[in-house]
Amino acid sequence: MKFDKTVKAFAIVAALLGATTLASSAQDVSAISGGFDVGPGGFQGNFNPLAATSGFTWLSNYLEPLVIYDAKLESIVGALASSYTVSPDQLTYTFNLADAAWHDGEAFTSADVKFTLGLAQNDKTGSVFAARLGSIAAIDTPDDKTVVITLSAPSAGFLDALTKVMQLPEHALTSVPAEELAKSAWWSTTPIGTGPFKFVKYETDQYVELAANPDYRLGKPAVDQLINRYFENPAAAISALRAGEIQFTYVDSNDVATFAGDAAFQVIEGQSYVTNYIGFNNELDLWKDVRVRQAIMHAINRDAIIESLYGGAARPANCGYVSEQLVPEGINPYGYDPEKARQLLAEAGWDQINGDKPITILTYYGTPLAANVLAAIQAMLAEVGVNIVPRVVDTPAYNAIVYADPLKPEEFPLVYAGLQNGPEPSNINIGLNEAQIPPAGSNFLHVRTPELTAALDAAMAELDPAARNGKYAEVCRVMNETLPWGTMWVASRYGVASSSLTDFVWTPAPAGGPFAAHPEAWKISK
Amino acid sequence: MRILSLASPSPWARALNRFTRNNAAVFGVVLLVPLLVCVLSYPLWLGHLPNDIDLAAMNAGPGGAHLFGTDGVGRDILARTLEGGRISLLVAVASVALSTTIGFLVGALAAFGGRWADAATMRAVDLAMTLPPVIFLLVLASIFGSGICSTVLVIALLSWPVLSRMIRARLMELREREFVMASRGMGAGTWHLLFRHGLPNSVDVLVVYAALQIAAAILLEAGLSFLGLGVPPPAASWGNMLNAARSTVVLEQYPWQWLFPGAALVLAVLAINFIGDGLRDAFDPRSDLN
Amino acid sequence: MFRYVSRRLLIGLGMLVALTVLTFILLQLTPGDPIDAYVDPNVSMSQAELDALRARLGLDRALPMQYLAWLGQAIQGNLGYSLQRQSEPVLGLIVARLGPTLLLMGTGLAVAIVVGISAGIISAVRSNTAADYSLSVVALLGISSPAFLTALLGLYVFSVRLKWLPSGGMLTPAASFSVADLVQHLILPAVLLSIGHAAMIMRYMRSSLLEVLNQDYVRTARAKGVREFWVITKHAVRNALLPVVTLIGSTIGLAIGGAIFIESVFNWPGMGLLLVNAVEVRDYPVIMAATLVVGAFVIVVNILTDLTYLVIDPRIKVS
Repeated sequence: MKFDKTVKAFAIVAALLGATTLASSAQDVSAISGGFDVGPGGFQGNFNPLAATSGFTWLSNYLEPLVIYDAKLESIVGALASSYTVSPDQLTYTFNLADAAWHDGEAFTSADVKFTLGLAQNDKTGSVFAARLGSIAAIDTPDDKTVVITLSAPSAGFLDALTKVMQLPEHALTSVPAEELAKSAWWSTTPIGTGPFKFVKYETDQYVELAANPDYRLGKPAVDQLINRYFENPAAAISALRAGEIQFTYVDSNDVATFAGDAAFQVIEGQSYVTNYIGFNNELDLWKDVRVRQAIMHAINRDAIIESLYGGAARPANCGYVSEQLVPEGINPYGYDPEKARQLLAEAGWDQINGDKPITILTYYGTPLAANVLAAIQAMLAEVGVNIVPRVVDTPAYNAIVYADPLKPEEFPLVYAGLQNGPEPSNINIGLNEAQIPPAGSNFLHVRTPELTAALDAAMAELDPAARNGKYAEVCRVMNETLPWGTMWVASRYGVASSSLTDFVWTPAPAGGPFAAHPEAWKISK
Repeated sequence: MRILSLASPSPWARALNRFTRNNAAVFGVVLLVPLLVCVLSYPLWLGHLPNDIDLAAMNAGPGGAHLFGTDGVGRDILARTLEGGRISLLVAVASVALSTTIGFLVGALAAFGGRWADAATMRAVDLAMTLPPVIFLLVLASIFGSGICSTVLVIALLSWPVLSRMIRARLMELREREFVMASRGMGAGTWHLLFRHGLPNSVDVLVVYAALQIAAAILLEAGLSFLGLGVPPPAASWGNMLNAARSTVVLEQYPWQWLFPGAALVLAVLAINFIGDGLRDAFDPRSDLN
Repeated sequence: MFRYVSRRLLIGLGMLVALTVLTFILLQLTPGDPIDAYVDPNVSMSQAELDALRARLGLDRALPMQYLAWLGQAIQGNLGYSLQRQSEPVLGLIVARLGPTLLLMGTGLAVAIVVGISAGIISAVRSNTAADYSLSVVALLGISSPAFLTALLGLYVFSVRLKWLPSGGMLTPAASFSVADLVQHLILPAVLLSIGHAAMIMRYMRSSLLEVLNQDYVRTARAKGVREFWVITKHAVRNALLPVVTLIGSTIGLAIGGAIFIESVFNWPGMGLLLVNAVEVRDYPVIMAATLVVGAFVIVVNILTDLTYLVIDPRIKVS
């Protein structure tokens, strides 16, 4: 009796499996699926661009900003603004708008721009841009296709901030009160943008579906559908990619090896623009002597770690930057020299300062790669007599510790962290300038180096674009000399796309960009 | 044959007898003892240390200098598996000791404390059992951080309610027995009753619970470390070595990095479960009838 | 009976409130709040900006006020909005997850119950034979292996290598719904989930049935000449089911919390993953609401389990 039942069960399951293989072979629409929000640049489940701290890669498929970075993240080009000019005193920005239409047919005008910027500056809407756009004094709309923005003071990062402000339709949102905007269901059900794809639906926690916008100003998209699938972690996305269910995803650097050499996949590499560093807590006397900090730099064999653990996919950083135009000649490379490290420590009297008492190094990086890196660093520092103990916590716990009020510096004598250093070089100011000590900024290590603060202030105030690189190079020199951080490297980040995709553009931009990926040009071959 | 012996064997001797005649239990012991010996003695005979990194020999396969291969920073897998055994077993034994103590005391409070204490305690136990373990686990781990002590605490706090119920039932049953009433009549205080009469007569419950709970604690530690909580690297534990298998590269290309600790874990838990089952049958006089 | 049920429900309600208070306290003890989780430490924002966000979300009010505000709204059925993704109402999130969770756990438990009970009966009836030994060893292996390891192995073998079954998710995205598609995605996680539970059920069934088979009334039935098959199924199993029912009851109760490891490995959109993600980002409204739902479910299932006892064994008096 039981045997019969088992046979019947098997038969049903086999029949179902057979039926599904037949069903899934029929596909009449061309669609590209990917894990676009996988990895550090993504923000799964967030549809509100005003509250977005990342996830811009996906949002820019159906929403567009005024200006955007190019795909190489080197310069800012026009998007919804076909061109822009900046006055010599850097106080007036004039944008000429492109001919574009919203997905519901209405025309895109300067009134939409003024409305969107108003929302972005109003922190009642939950906007995270309110502070960054605080220098806006006035927004004028002389006609439907021109917007003039006047700043109260020159701001080096203004255009960079504007690249993240996705333009929103006034006619659809003006009736929503500012406080209700963040909670509105509009974002995840019927958002309207100007981008190459239109929002179709969001299956809660599963995927988002977009359909091609035939009236897009740069032409009808080559594919009919774009699907963004959500994944619990990059490993699940990789399984789906290998199984052919998606055509693209972000990939952790140590998983790239599975795809290298496989003709069915193309590996995309890009700079992460995040400087990884060992942060010295300036509130503690441990690190007061610069020789101690220099010793730590010399004790760590960065080249070996990059070679073996990162597979060569990182560039050593001797200051906050690695781009050639920002790194001056002749700075100290802090080569691997454990003998010199021991000598420096002895000179500084390390045995009296701390000896081999364990020192906690706090980090929020929980990947296996980070664990291996910390293990390697721990072993190298132990060789010269510095005993560090890694402590991994999750992001909220980390933020709670380093920004605690009252501060307990003994809980984080060292940190292993990262800070975005580009594409806009002023991004590191918030972590190193004395004026940015919390609550004003993010200088939670309480770096108080007058020379560095002066160099940063000078660079941020430089109005002449030609001279700015020189000023930031000066910042780099000072960082290299005074070592507020033990800068380690800037790693590369990776994405893997199926070889069936052509003209597919992606770069691992911080926060997901946005960058001009031209999704209307993406094609998939069967 | 015991026909002519005048003194019958004590309950302990009888239990031991039943245990040794239980093939599965003996097999468990045979499996566990060599494992324990290796785990405790490895610094004496193994050349590698569990935390020695060697960037030149990363991800090497088994054989040659490294019998079980190496991991992502060149540490010897055999050394780490054995060290991981130490730490996982330490965490398991410590957490079981803690949860047994808590469970016994709470159960005793409920049984001997009077009606209000009983009602309040049992409601508290119900509450602890209703709270979804996921939340409890994650929140406790966030509060205490990761680390051996925290892991011990988290596992103990998750396991004591079950024991307290069993101890309460057993002690309430004992309370009604005549020798207890006689003791009370002679003026024995609660502590005396508890430790002189209650504890020895609950030993079978405690021992079986402890044995099976050690197995469960090892699995729980592995699960915690898999989620990134639990014992943090660079310390080795079976759980955090298995965490490496989350990466597809390790899962497919370097299987020795997780197969060996996984096998060690399954073997240890299996052996302890065999022993626990054997203990349960040994303490149950009716199992002779099967 | 009615009085018993209503009394249990009342106590249950009290426990629910106590549960939410306990959860709230635990959450406040956890380092970091939702705003700390919102900001990627690599891309920093100033504390002043973050404090403005906190004030907007009401996170700077006194703790008892925050709790009472939540409770007041919850009683009216408004469970609030997720703090991480502010346009998502919490109730919608939970409802969206309940279905898949019940589907996965239901299928897994159904398989586990059928397999576990049958294996337990076979093992007890043919105790100390080869069948018994092999089934017992398999069961022990089932409870001795960590769930996530079997899940990873299963995923690797059946999905990545053999490509027989999908690698995750519940349905093929953007395809029209079909039962066959659902079943395909369900098989692997449900089967892997059932392994551990089937093993436990089998062991309990076996030991319980062995004990019952030694009872006097069984011997009497055999002596009366009742056929062995009926002795086992009609008399013994019925009485041996009691501890198994307790086990199944507590398993079902915990089941609604989801199976985090299986869901994590297979990306199954269940309550377990929802809770794990919510705790990671300290999404207080989601955690409170999920605890409430799961707690209510556990309490109801416990009451139902106790009622089932009455059906199985009329000798039991609920006191």
